[in-house]
Amino acid sequence: MWSKKKTVDELLHAWQQHGDIRERIEAIRTIEATPARYAPLPDELHPSLRLALAHRGVEQLYTHQREAFDYAMNKQSFTAVTPTASGKSYCYHLPVLQMILTNKKARALYLFPTKALAQDQMTDVNALIEASGEDVLSYTYDGDTSPSVRQKVRKAGHIVMTNPDMLHSGILPHHTKWVALFENLEYIVLDELHTYKGVFGSHVAHVIRRLQRICAFYGSSPTFICTSATIQNPRELAESLTNTKHALITQSGAPTGKKTFVFYNPPIVHPAFNVRRSAVLEVRDLAKQLYDANIQTIVFAKSRVRVEMLVTYLQQFTKHKLHDETIKGYRGGYLPSERRLIEKGLRDGTIQTVVSTNALELGVDIGQLQACIMTGYPGNIASAWQQAGRAGRRQESALIIYVAQNTALDQYIIENPDFFFGGDPEAARIAPDNMLILMDHLKCAAFELPFRKGDMYGEFYIDELLAYLAEERVLFATSDTWHWMSDRFPAHDISLRSAAQENVVIIDQTETTNYRVIGEMDTYSAMTLLHEEAIYMHQGTQYQVEVLDWNEKKAYVREVNVDYFTDANLAVELKVMSEDETETLGAAHIGYGDVSILAQATMFKKIRFNTHDNIGSGQIHLPPMEMHTTATWLSFEPFERWGEERISTALISVAYVLQSLTPLFVHCDRADISVVPQMKAVHNDLPTLFMYDNYPGGIGLSEKMYTSLPQLLTRARDHVAKCRCEAGCPSCIGAQSIDAQSKLDALLLMKKLLGLFGQV
Amino acid sequence: MHASLRAIAMSLAIIATKGRMDMSYEKKLLQMKQMMKKAPAKVEKPVIEKPSAPSYSKAWEQVGLTRIDNDFGTVFKYEKTYEKAYEHGHYALGAIDDALVQWEAAAFSHPYAATTDETLVFFDTETTGLKGAGTYIFLLGFLTLRPYDVLLTQYVLADPAHEAALLFESKLWQRDTTIVSYNGKSFDWPQLQTRWTLNQHVLPPLKIPRHIDLLHSSRRLWKNDLVRMKLKQVEEEKLGFVRHHDIPGHLAPIIYMDAIKSGEPSALMKVLQHNEWDLLSLVTLYVHSTSMLMEAASASATAYTNVGKWYADLNEHERSYDILSRVTTTYETFETIQTYYYLGLQQKKRGDVEGAIASFVRSGASDDIRIALKSHEEAAKLYEHAKKNTDEALHMTNAALQKLAQDRMLPLRARQAFYERLQKRRTRLLKKNQ
Repeated sequence: MWSKKKTVDELLHAWQQHGDIRERIEAIRTIEATPARYAPLPDELHPSLRLALAHRGVEQLYTHQREAFDYAMNKQSFTAVTPTASGKSYCYHLPVLQMILTNKKARALYLFPTKALAQDQMTDVNALIEASGEDVLSYTYDGDTSPSVRQKVRKAGHIVMTNPDMLHSGILPHHTKWVALFENLEYIVLDELHTYKGVFGSHVAHVIRRLQRICAFYGSSPTFICTSATIQNPRELAESLTNTKHALITQSGAPTGKKTFVFYNPPIVHPAFNVRRSAVLEVRDLAKQLYDANIQTIVFAKSRVRVEMLVTYLQQFTKHKLHDETIKGYRGGYLPSERRLIEKGLRDGTIQTVVSTNALELGVDIGQLQACIMTGYPGNIASAWQQAGRAGRRQESALIIYVAQNTALDQYIIENPDFFFGGDPEAARIAPDNMLILMDHLKCAAFELPFRKGDMYGEFYIDELLAYLAEERVLFATSDTWHWMSDRFPAHDISLRSAAQENVVIIDQTETTNYRVIGEMDTYSAMTLLHEEAIYMHQGTQYQVEVLDWNEKKAYVREVNVDYFTDANLAVELKVMSEDETETLGAAHIGYGDVSILAQATMFKKIRFNTHDNIGSGQIHLPPMEMHTTATWLSFEPFERWGEERISTALISVAYVLQSLTPLFVHCDRADISVVPQMKAVHNDLPTLFMYDNYPGGIGLSEKMYTSLPQLLTRARDHVAKCRCEAGCPSCIGAQSIDAQSKLDALLLMKKLLGLFGQV
Repeated sequence: MHASLRAIAMSLAIIATKGRMDMSYEKKLLQMKQMMKKAPAKVEKPVIEKPSAPSYSKAWEQVGLTRIDNDFGTVFKYEKTYEKAYEHGHYALGAIDDALVQWEAAAFSHPYAATTDETLVFFDTETTGLKGAGTYIFLLGFLTLRPYDVLLTQYVLADPAHEAALLFESKLWQRDTTIVSYNGKSFDWPQLQTRWTLNQHVLPPLKIPRHIDLLHSSRRLWKNDLVRMKLKQVEEEKLGFVRHHDIPGHLAPIIYMDAIKSGEPSALMKVLQHNEWDLLSLVTLYVHSTSMLMEAASASATAYTNVGKWYADLNEHERSYDILSRVTTTYETFETIQTYYYLGLQQKKRGDVEGAIASFVRSGASDDIRIALKSHEEAAKLYEHAKKNTDEALHMTNAALQKLAQDRMLPLRARQAFYERLQKRRTRLLKKNQ
């Protein structure tokens, strides 16, 4: 193996000499190293903390850490926007420990989006405490905490580290057991703030309002310390989540190493249709080169299925070695113990290549790797930078390779590499005023403490809503108060993470005597990924779903070895229920309001590995899922001389490109917004494009699209016009048609919609 | 309230509780969106005002409840005295006095021992749910032993706004008592503490009394004997009391909620009756448990053995030995195979090596694989260390390994632990034998 070892720079140099690879590299951008900026340790810093820092060789702080300390000491809530590996944890550890060392009664609550992050930070803060020689107790509190320790955490934990889900269902409803915490709560730390967006963020905003309400009951008013990756609106997000004014820290004082970004476009394999080679296959080849060069690499893929496909491919490199553990997958749905092992393997270098979903974007401590490959654009700039941030050791060059897929958004990014560096990241949106989410948490809040007439809940006036719940017989109204009056435990009925309340549990029945649970999945994804006959992949092993028990939410799978994967279709039907806003744009009517949606998985295809040929199909028999949400729609009068089929084709094309490019405008999970064409919309019989929020009640995404529609259409039209294909391709309008007219029609339709008809 | 909103609410009274994936619930909520108002947050200051008495007070008084108004509001009370001669199942309530005298005279200590100096209060609550800050206690029931009679006192929450009045009236902040409950240590008392914490700004602090939880003793006494430990099963099978026209406990929350919504208390009185029976059974359960711990005369071999085990755990070895010996002489051999294991442990402690080995050999034949294996192990230990008989020790160890190999019941982890221990012993013994 010794002969092949290369540095990142040597490998990059070799690629630039190599004809094929050189051609596929569309752009290279380099960010030079930057030096550190320091500030002195605060004068008031507790001697024990000073000692602990000296122990670690820290004699001064980065400027952003000092700024954070000063805000926190003044009890000013703030948000620090910091890149990966900039020492952000000192932004909260230092002021929190300072407070506890000066007042042993003081308490702090740390919230992390996942359990893994909490465990990580506990190790981190405990090391600091140990070096200080002081007696400060910090604990994680989550589903894994043993009952014997729980008592101690409640009574004596100075720092309690948990996640929003546990706070929601395990702590707030039992707040009387946490009196010591709530009476003395000085700081609430929200790490990875940008992950609290969309549906999840909207829920978390309410969990925090409930937390504040309970603090007020016990007489404390904690200060918020938040950290976030780069997004367009960190202050707005923080203020909306916490219902509190925030100061902002944006300048990091941490040094950065040199980073080289390679924008890589797979070769065109079908020139007529402008179809490029699969990005997954291309990533496989690049990852092999990095593996052979002994460069520790993280490969990001967007879906669980992709991760599993890549792991399968990559493990082929080592199949001749027995028990080789150098290549691993990592994603949600693995058991925690499995994940901890992989994290450790990455830190100590025994794992050389890891393939991950965005689960590893967050601050899970896996050390710094040397290279990062993104299989496609992760959907937003913040994620892209976080993924890129996984590569980069001090004093060493880091390599970040972006491999574009055959999609419009990916091709848009490769055409405009500076979009990546343009400093115009997307906005993270949450909607605490989503009625369904609000009502869910209002029930929880009423369970936790009774409401008095005229009370506010967060920023909301709620008397009418409470009266409604009382009529529903969930609350009981006395002359001046509302009390929870039901034997239900509302927090158990509400999941923060997804529209779907329950997860489907995946059970492996390969060994008849030893059924075991190997993972779980939300119901919405399960419709298309765990239907009967679906191939489900877990750590590179293929399983076929034999029985999906929809009522019990259980999928029974058996290990198989086949040369294909499955891909399912979802049919969607829409009805407009109320039109809140309406406007005319060129030849189009635009509306915004409430819609009802019926989604049903219809059929699936079997697709062969490597060639990606379609080798079979089947029906899916599952009940439809219904949802009411908000949508923006765009209707137009059918054009004369265009037959129905021609309009329909153009509509599908435009829907494809619009759906593809929406992530340029809103920071959301890919599945959070959908674009669906309807030839005759039920409410007006006109050809219509719907863009709807994929969550009951809506979370403000389609509302944002309502105002951005002209820009979105303009960018979409420009992108399609610039595309190098002749008749439409997956990079612009999708690959539904081989008719040369369809690309022209799509362009024509967008021009009409923009009111530009007649001009060329 | 907005008129259309009221209409929506009415039509939804039932549907909405089913959950929010319900279509029409969502639809209506979305319609209500227009009515939602927002404002920047302001600091709330809790103001304590005494709530007014509920409108149904008269109706509740008419069914026998007494209305009490204190500084915090209104609470309803039900009171009744029982003569000591009153029979509840097998026992008269007055038997409790004999039980206490027996404990005072006992030569050994026991966590369930109480004396005539203590005020024994039997305690049971009824609640609106199972856990969390949104679960109210709506009925606090006490049965207090007095010199010449027994006093039942039940406090009923007038409505949730009157909670402080209920808690204050219970005098739990004031009295020096010994509480006796069934599952009260993990349910009723923590729930009471939760309610107290929520009212801590007005109430004096709650006293922490001595607490005897009879669920714990029942579990120890009737392990392997009773299938379920519900108070109802214990009553029927051990205390000779059968309830007629009792309401099922899980309906209590719904009945209370209905009573405060409709103001109609007749079903609620059934809950009071249910609670009263619970309290009476606590008294006779205490009496019955005491008699088992004292003489264990009428118990089954299993329960009698459990008594002996319990004394062993309490380090009352003399008493444990006496009881276990008596079990083996009183009952048929087939009923006492397991008893010999516990007796063997006591014999070993007393230095009676031969007796202990004989007992372990008997219990080695038990159907309970753990007892059988542990008996073999114990016998092997005694042979090895006390009698220096390596051959017999090895014989016992091999027999145990053979039993383990044939067993299909033990969970994997336990199997592994036994296996490792036995193999270690076997290796050591083989080495000694060389």
